[in-house]
Amino acid sequence: MAEPVSTTATTEAPKKEGGFPPFDTSTFPTQLFWLVVTFAFLFTVMWRVAGPKINSAITNRRGVINGAIAEANKARTDAETAQAGYEAALATARARANALAEDTRQGLNAEIAKAKADADAQAHHAMQDADARIAATRETAKAAVTAAARDAAIAIVERLTGDKVSAEDAASAMGN
Amino acid sequence: MALNPMEQFTIKPLIAEPLFAIAGHPIYFTNQALLMILVVAASSLFLTLAVKPGRLVPNRAQSMAEVSYEFVANMIHSATGEDGLKFFPFVFTLFMFVLCSNFFGMIPGSFTVTSQIAVTLALACLVMGIVIVTGFAKHGFRFFMLFVPKAPIYILPLLVVIEVISFCSRPISLSVRLFANMLAGHTLLAVFAGFVVSLGAAGGLFTGLAIAPLLLIVGILLLEFLVAFLQAYVFAILTCIYLNEALHLHDHH
Repeated sequence: MAEPVSTTATTEAPKKEGGFPPFDTSTFPTQLFWLVVTFAFLFTVMWRVAGPKINSAITNRRGVINGAIAEANKARTDAETAQAGYEAALATARARANALAEDTRQGLNAEIAKAKADADAQAHHAMQDADARIAATRETAKAAVTAAARDAAIAIVERLTGDKVSAEDAASAMGN
Repeated sequence: MALNPMEQFTIKPLIAEPLFAIAGHPIYFTNQALLMILVVAASSLFLTLAVKPGRLVPNRAQSMAEVSYEFVANMIHSATGEDGLKFFPFVFTLFMFVLCSNFFGMIPGSFTVTSQIAVTLALACLVMGIVIVTGFAKHGFRFFMLFVPKAPIYILPLLVVIEVISFCSRPISLSVRLFANMLAGHTLLAVFAGFVVSLGAAGGLFTGLAIAPLLLIVGILLLEFLVAFLQAYVFAILTCIYLNEALHLHDHH
């Protein structure tokens, strides 16, 4: 290895072989010079170019993502509003349908009740007629039976006694 | 192959003649200077070219750049709060410089910039300089309250002495930690590599035994990659913690 002998101006003695290189102070000016140059350069790049660039990339993306999230939220709100509108319309329609059904049912019920009442009245009327007819028939039948019995009694008496009994007597005799 | 494990830390001029002199000190173009330039060129090119602000879905390179950006930004934010973010360019530069230097040093045959105490001490002094300037700019002479913790009055003198010593030793601990970690890891690797070479050259049974230090090198190498990242992180986070103290004194604890 060709060791550099950098003793031109420094007070440092030429480096001995086997010395500890990091503590060789003759190299310090060179090290510090290059450190300052390179570090300052890197700092300028970071400060003026790389930092702002990366920062804008990150902020850009964050902006896009936040925008997309806001858009999605808006879409969801819109959808929810639309659904609420739809549900309200559905509820109104359902209420109207129910009301209509109720009206119809009540109308029909009233009609049915009226028809039933009419029928009842008719039936009652018919029954009364029938009852009257039955009563009349019964009376006629009863009278006919009485007359027949009287006639029979008169005939019996006439056959047994030969007497002619008047119809009135026969009737009174039968207690009738 | 050099068998002296310290040989790798020697700074060698790549151009024999000094470029120029500053105040009588000759400035050479050295292997370390080359590595610094490579580190800075690679990190600045990577962080600028990989990123296109319009790209909604980042590709792999841009993800890496963004991850390192957000990593440092979160580090600063968690350690110093919102007002520490104005130091972002500095801390980001520091972190990327140390990280890339450490990783470039892992390339076989290259040079580890951060294995030089001059570099780490200069960076640590820069950090402490910024801390002190920030502290005085923000708090004026109240900055000295940094050395006065909340404690009973009778132990204050002792605590103040301890705080002053701890503050003054920060540049040393900050720089030596990074320097020593890099130095030790690379020395260890060189030592074991030397074992592999000498065992391999010994012949016979020893050649077979060379596999043991070789396996060890693989393990240490993995560990060194971790250390390379960890030390850059530690350097940056300690910078943030010191900046936090300069910004908020003891209020933030």
